[in-house]
Amino acid sequence: MNNVWIAGAGMTRFGRRDETLPDLIAEAGLAALLDAGIERPDALVVAAMNPEEFTGEGNYGSLINTHLGLAQVPTVRVETATSSGMAAVYAGFADIAAGLHRTVLVVGGEKMSHIPTPRVSEIIGRSIDPHERTYGTTMPALAGLVTRAAMQSRGLTLREMAQVAVKNHANGARNPLAHFREPVTIEAVMESRLVADPLRLFHCCPISDGAAAVVLTAEPAAVRIAGIGQGTDTMAVRYRSDLTSFRATQAAAQAAYKMAGFGPARVELAELHDAFSPFELISLEDTGLIPVGKAGRATLDGETALDGRLPVNTSGGLKARGHPLAATGIAQTVEICWQLRGMAEGRQVQARVGLAQSIGGLATNNWVALLEARA
Amino acid sequence: MIAQSIEASRCPRCERMVVPPAHYCPDHPVAMEPATVAGVGEIVSFTTLHSPPEGFKAPLHIALIELKGGARLFCHGQETRGIKIGSSVGVESLDGVFYFSHMGFADRARLFWRRAGAGGEKVASISKSLAKGIWRGRSRGDS
Repeated sequence: MNNVWIAGAGMTRFGRRDETLPDLIAEAGLAALLDAGIERPDALVVAAMNPEEFTGEGNYGSLINTHLGLAQVPTVRVETATSSGMAAVYAGFADIAAGLHRTVLVVGGEKMSHIPTPRVSEIIGRSIDPHERTYGTTMPALAGLVTRAAMQSRGLTLREMAQVAVKNHANGARNPLAHFREPVTIEAVMESRLVADPLRLFHCCPISDGAAAVVLTAEPAAVRIAGIGQGTDTMAVRYRSDLTSFRATQAAAQAAYKMAGFGPARVELAELHDAFSPFELISLEDTGLIPVGKAGRATLDGETALDGRLPVNTSGGLKARGHPLAATGIAQTVEICWQLRGMAEGRQVQARVGLAQSIGGLATNNWVALLEARA
Repeated sequence: MIAQSIEASRCPRCERMVVPPAHYCPDHPVAMEPATVAGVGEIVSFTTLHSPPEGFKAPLHIALIELKGGARLFCHGQETRGIKIGSSVGVESLDGVFYFSHMGFADRARLFWRRAGAGGEKVASISKSLAKGIWRGRSRGDS
């Protein structure tokens, strides 16, 4: 298997954007190509979760390669719900690792803010099991069930969950590309309106537009993908025996660590999928970065803050950087890349190894990637 | 209310039960067989949705229940007051939708009696139809 390197990274500002999705993807893709010093990649991987319904356009791989002036470059479009971006990184990784191509541009994005919120929730909610959806379950509803169960069995507290949002907003305030750039107080989070009891509005990520891109190469560059793994679980939540940890993250992390040949002890920085604040705590434990039952305390103690032992979501995470679905897994990769290259101005931490974790659906199709700075 | 029998399916290989019936076992690519399971179980978790999707009214109470027979299912409920994770509940299917209701001591006693023999069976079926009548009345009143 060939080593796979990240030679370029780019992303748009996340938030409410007036541009079309192809324009956002072009902005991120061209920035990544420029960063890599490459004009024409050998292959293109495009991630978009549901542009058919959000924007009414289809045949998305061809739409994007034509829009980018790369119509002759072999292109595939990849989708694993909200983790589509990291699935695209994986597809590009596999392409180069197998020796099929030398350079691959991986781009992903979503455009949703032009659509009324209930309709956006409904479209995102299609990643839920159809039978369970007939009960009115939405992503926040399922996350509410997970959160209540985790509070009972893992002793997660409302204050610990609120602190995740406070920390990620503080980080987002330092990221010029973040959707939210205002800090929030723990009281504001704990008093925000109930969405899906016990989850409140400020525990939930926003609806964002945006795109992100990386250029993967067989030629050595500043950052290497040391390991990447996928984990899956049943689409039906009622088929699972455990609600409070995600088998899909655990399996993805094991696969990534095995490929990298090292464990969580070497990870110094992480971008985790905090679509709902408690998910950051669950993910910290599912990836083995913090022992089971300790993530909440560690967060309150500042261990995962920018100046902590293990900075988590230095970008602001899904909560503050924003969550344009298929852009997210790539944006996590971009953030870790910039951190490892010393380019995270205003929020730079010292690290040589970073972990990114992306959740698809209600943890039905998850990914973990390990990035390492070149020695 | 008293236990209703709920349509399920069982994996002939691993004995796993799922509700509603499915074609294939979630753990094996094996065709499942029809089965039934009693509508009695425990709350695994629950939530109240304050901005439910189109077609539902707020507040929407949703619970995930683990039936004694082994399958888990999603249910709606009238309220979540007095409900905790681990609470015993009865589950009924009305027009193909599952509803949970808290099982008090009297319900559990009747269930026990029902299992005890034919005499119990008769009383149980009477109380069951009574409970259903009350439930239907309540649902109608709400809509």
